[in-house]
Amino acid sequence: MLQFAHPAYLWGLFAIALPILVHLFNQRRPRPLSFGAIEFVLRSQRQKARRLRLRQILLLALRCLLIAAVALALARPSLKPHGVQAAQAKGPQATALVVDASLSMRYRLGSRTLFEKARAEALAALDRLGPDEPATVGLCAGPAGLSGASMGAPSFDRLAARRTLQTAQPTFLSSDLTGCLAAAAKALGESPVPGKRIIAFTDLAAHSIRLDAPPPLVPPPANAPPGAQGIRPNVVLVDAARGSELPNAAIVATAVRPSASLGPRGYEVVATVANWGARPLAGLQVSLKLGANVVAKGFVDVEGRGTAKKTLGAVLPAGVVAGRIELSREEAQGLDEDDGQDFVVQVPRDVKALIVDGSPSSLRSRDEAFFAEAALGPARTGGRIHAQTLDADAAANASLDGYDVILLLNVAAPPKSFAEKLRQAVQHRGAGLFIALGDHVDPDAWNDAFGDLLPRPLHLIKTAAEPGSPGAEEHAARFGVIEWSHPLFRVFGPAEREGLESARTWRYALLKPEGQAHTLASYDDGAPALIEKRSGAGRVLLYTSSASRTWTDWPIRVSFLPVLQQAVSWLADALEQRQPPPGAVGSERTLVAPAGSRVAKVLGPSGESSFRREPTHADDAIVPLQAPGLYRALVAPPGVQPREEPTLSFVATLDPRESDLRRVDESELKAQLGGAGSAQVAASAAAAQGTTGTPLWSGLLLLGALALLGEGALTRR
Amino acid sequence: MTLDPALLARLGPLQVRARKVMEGVLTGLHKSPHHGQSVEFSEHKEYAPGDEIRHIDWRAFAKLDKYYVKRFEMETNLRALLLVDASGSMAYGRGAMTKLQYAAVCAGALAYLLSRQGDQVALCLAGEGGTWMGVRDFLPFASSPTHVQELLRMLDAGQGRGPTLLPEAIDFAAEKAGRRALVIVLSDLFDVTERSIPALKMLRSRRHDVLLLQTHDPEELEFPFDDPTRFLSMEDERQIEAQPRQIRESYLSEMRRFLEGTRRELARADVEVEQIRTDAPPDRVLLKLLARREAA
Repeated sequence: MLQFAHPAYLWGLFAIALPILVHLFNQRRPRPLSFGAIEFVLRSQRQKARRLRLRQILLLALRCLLIAAVALALARPSLKPHGVQAAQAKGPQATALVVDASLSMRYRLGSRTLFEKARAEALAALDRLGPDEPATVGLCAGPAGLSGASMGAPSFDRLAARRTLQTAQPTFLSSDLTGCLAAAAKALGESPVPGKRIIAFTDLAAHSIRLDAPPPLVPPPANAPPGAQGIRPNVVLVDAARGSELPNAAIVATAVRPSASLGPRGYEVVATVANWGARPLAGLQVSLKLGANVVAKGFVDVEGRGTAKKTLGAVLPAGVVAGRIELSREEAQGLDEDDGQDFVVQVPRDVKALIVDGSPSSLRSRDEAFFAEAALGPARTGGRIHAQTLDADAAANASLDGYDVILLLNVAAPPKSFAEKLRQAVQHRGAGLFIALGDHVDPDAWNDAFGDLLPRPLHLIKTAAEPGSPGAEEHAARFGVIEWSHPLFRVFGPAEREGLESARTWRYALLKPEGQAHTLASYDDGAPALIEKRSGAGRVLLYTSSASRTWTDWPIRVSFLPVLQQAVSWLADALEQRQPPPGAVGSERTLVAPAGSRVAKVLGPSGESSFRREPTHADDAIVPLQAPGLYRALVAPPGVQPREEPTLSFVATLDPRESDLRRVDESELKAQLGGAGSAQVAASAAAAQGTTGTPLWSGLLLLGALALLGEGALTRR
Repeated sequence: MTLDPALLARLGPLQVRARKVMEGVLTGLHKSPHHGQSVEFSEHKEYAPGDEIRHIDWRAFAKLDKYYVKRFEMETNLRALLLVDASGSMAYGRGAMTKLQYAAVCAGALAYLLSRQGDQVALCLAGEGGTWMGVRDFLPFASSPTHVQELLRMLDAGQGRGPTLLPEAIDFAAEKAGRRALVIVLSDLFDVTERSIPALKMLRSRRHDVLLLQTHDPEELEFPFDDPTRFLSMEDERQIEAQPRQIRESYLSEMRRFLEGTRRELARADVEVEQIRTDAPPDRVLLKLLARREAA
């Protein structure tokens, strides 16, 4: 329905009579003139007559249009939206403008995002407020409801409100519109103006609205009599999408795991793709990127309102690798921010191991190195560990350069020269040494040959039971105390521990109580089973029984395999580290600095990220996760140049609920907000205020200006 | 001293006005280095050393790529025929004088000048209503003062009316002029039939010396009208309503094309054309004309 703010100006329409009069004046009876050169007048008039008549009519029309447009524009006409009257309260109203700044408002619709549209609507709504209507502005984002400080009391400081809106930016957070409306209602309670109105500019996404929550209530004034009830504000939800469907596809989860089939350092990245639209998506492109390079690409079909997994594989470089998996961007519309997820994985480096076989055998299963070779074979380690086996004599003459770990399996006491080579490799080059015993080991000769390279000197060989003898199973030793938190045993979950604990050992070496060593596992009689010691730059790990079946049945048990693999990796300082799990945008992440150092700087997705410290743990950092992407920490002991700590790198991911832009049911929403009497859903800010409707005057002025230009152009000819 | 047309118009009968103009012209001629000598071009002779270089006909050289010298013979009884267009369009003029009045002044002054030199002058008034087709009045060749007075009276009595019958009048003049004569045509050349220019060419082709004084009112040249006007033809029943401001540009363009076309066309036929405005002092116009002819 058409309405006018200043209907008196409509009298100006009578001015249309002016151009008509001018036109008629020009058409008046012309004065006669006898003219000698009439032939030339006739020729000119013939050429122009038709064009002139058309031009005169056009001129008349343009002049009438110009006057009509100006008169109508001055009267400030507008189209009054239907259905507004019901929700409109009489008189001035204190108004709270709530703009949804959640991630889903970054959705592109045409050339602008929903947030930009909402902000423009909010600014227009602010301009339309009457001079006696105070206003307050709030941005709705984050689990706490309103973003930043809570909403202030409505005021007449339009400049401040305008500035707040103009500088507002959408966040990556989820939103709780129900909470925001409640907060806005509370803020309205601080205004003495009796009318209360909340205008919220949002995408009406169902996930941001709690339909089971109580409706927003404006608390009674402070001076109200006891027992006074709150009042329901007039709530208008302005749909930034104007009723459009907002289909969206997103990557909602990413998993990274090693893949033996892809060879050494082969990893597969599994992306879970969700399609929140009703239409199925076919051939959606998924790319795996490392830095700017796309290393793998694939396509996935996703049912409407369904999810699908897509696995992409790649061989990653050793070290900390940050990557991203993303969907191809839709040009026309969509939410770009959830089309990809970052991941970070620490890829262990390759390890070269030398197995010194002290008791080779032509029968493979009787060979001392049989089980170690099986455990470290490429099929079981994904090619990450390259193991080479030499017998003791060959090894004594071989160079140990290039080996990260040397495994001595049931080796008789070596010559001094070999022991010295070992010592050099461990203590100066940082190689790892794994020692397993056996029948060829003479404790005294060993102590003599290795000296302080052993974690503790060997004392004597103890036989708990003879294998195969009656009661041997019962008398055999078992693992007693195991340090489960050690990297060697970290792979064992509570369910798998039994497999290790049930291993039986018939014979093992007892150690002298000398030296500083760390016992990782011991037998049920308290004798050390696995003991380690740092020696110079390297480590030595001593297993007091055999790596073959001669002294124990552990090698034939499944628990032997992961422990030996972990032991080799650990000795080579190439243990596979698990990265911290992803954090959710909007939450906080505590970065615990390694002992003796302090988190000095945190680098977020867009540069240096702010963080705070707890007074009790001053070396750690608590990082608020504001944006999705990779976060890296630089740590250092006090006074030292900080360096990146790979184990603290992690990614922050978006709340997948924000990717679901399905709209809330309008009738249910109105019911939640207190019924159609006090709530409405409108398509524009003008409709929200319900007073001025859709303004037409700017269009009319434009029309007038065009008419003026046209008139000028025609008259000049 | 120049004779402003407005001043001239107040001088009374044509006899006075024409004489005044003649005196103005004579005064000017005395100042001119070219003294009046009634000579007439006779023939061309191929240039030979010893001939006057100033008599070389450059126009002939341009056409024939040979030097020719003009030879003159003293003309003691030059015959000049004044042909004045007295059609309706010549009656136009809202200033000091109509085109016809202006043409009459010029013709009168020329008649004075010519008879003063002893030349014979005839007058032909082109228009309807006479005995001959296209000739309203005709005064044969003579050179006596009374003849000039008669000629002036006839000019003074002439009124612009009726259609342009100039082609017929030119045919008549060609016939009456007999042997070679100077024919001075005073007309606006507004001729719907567009036969006037061919007629003038024909006249020239009969070896008459033809001079066209194409006379126009300033309003016809500038079209300064603003108000809506019904333009009425002065020669027939045609009329048209127009917004002068809207057609001015087109009108002026048409007029320009007409004037340039006429000048170009007649120049090709060796007819001398002088386009004159009725607000220009007639003595100046004639003086300039005579000076140019003498120089040629």
